[in-house]
Amino acid sequence: MKPRALLALFARIFVGAVLVYAGASKASAPAEEFALVIGVYDLVPSSITLPIASLLPWLELAVGWALILGVRTRAAGAAAGATTLAFLFAIGSVLARGITLPNCGCFGESMHFSPPHAFLFDTLLAALCWTICTAQPDPLSLDSWATRGL
Amino acid sequence: MILVAMRSKQFRRLFSYALVGALTVVSTVAAGRARKPFSPAAPDFRRKGPPDARIRVVEFSDFQCPACRYAEEPLRRLLQLYEGKIRFSFKHFPLRMHPWAKAAAYAADCAGRQGKFWEFHDRLYDRQDEWTNGEADRFLTGYARALKLDVPAWDACRGKPETAAAVADDVKDGENAWVGSTPTFFVNGRRFAGGKQLAELGALFIDRELKKP
Repeated sequence: MKPRALLALFARIFVGAVLVYAGASKASAPAEEFALVIGVYDLVPSSITLPIASLLPWLELAVGWALILGVRTRAAGAAAGATTLAFLFAIGSVLARGITLPNCGCFGESMHFSPPHAFLFDTLLAALCWTICTAQPDPLSLDSWATRGL
Repeated sequence: MILVAMRSKQFRRLFSYALVGALTVVSTVAAGRARKPFSPAAPDFRRKGPPDARIRVVEFSDFQCPACRYAEEPLRRLLQLYEGKIRFSFKHFPLRMHPWAKAAAYAADCAGRQGKFWEFHDRLYDRQDEWTNGEADRFLTGYARALKLDVPAWDACRGKPETAAAVADDVKDGENAWVGSTPTFFVNGRRFAGGKQLAELGALFIDRELKKP
């Protein structure tokens, strides 16, 4: 396996695992708690914080598993990238406006990242998503199995 | 049969999607099961409203938390609006970051044992800026005096292990209920995190609950 392909495989598994962990952590806590954190960002009307808090863990889990298994890898990588960019925008705007956020809410109650740390971590994830989207099809994926069989 | 179907490209593609869907559902359900049941029980002096009321409101709160003080206004409005229809219970959830919250919880409970929990509770929130400092103990004693409590008995009660145990039990219940912030309200089991959620959605939810046959 070429180094570029190895990096893409690592990126796919790493970003997928992070999303599955983040989604499961949020899903294990009540959506109202996460809605409260979304409300502090002050970016969306309060009437939609609860629907977002309820749907986001599902989205993260679905995209995370798709990446780990290699199902529609590029589309999943693009979805993960778009989600990460949205998080970057949200955290960046909080930092720019000087809003105090005790934690970013990224991993529910299981792990607390300060906004600057979350910003750095999301930048790394965005770079890895770019690697996934621009990589050649991976033979160690369900995409490859679905196209060519065993 | 399955092996034959596996030879079809379309089947393999559908199988991949189904696997992602199944893993998503299984992980969401498994994560949700991590939550534990909690007891909404509280001593009688921390409850008010008719015992047979159809609406049960449980609040997990911290006397030193500013958000809890701000939540008092929408909460009092709600209790007034549905007077006679709500059974309200107060549970302590002193956060680690608030050094005087536990002392205030003990002080309020000991006032409660002399029948003045709600008076002490209101005073703690109304004068939160005054007592949340290194002189908290002096202020708490002053409030006990102002409310005409039996101060030596109240003071002795604050040091009793059962007083600390009652607060510790509430904290355990809060942790089991996955209370991540204060105040957190449960209205007939439905969670409202913070006064804003309660103010915006509480009355709507209570109306719906009261309309149920």
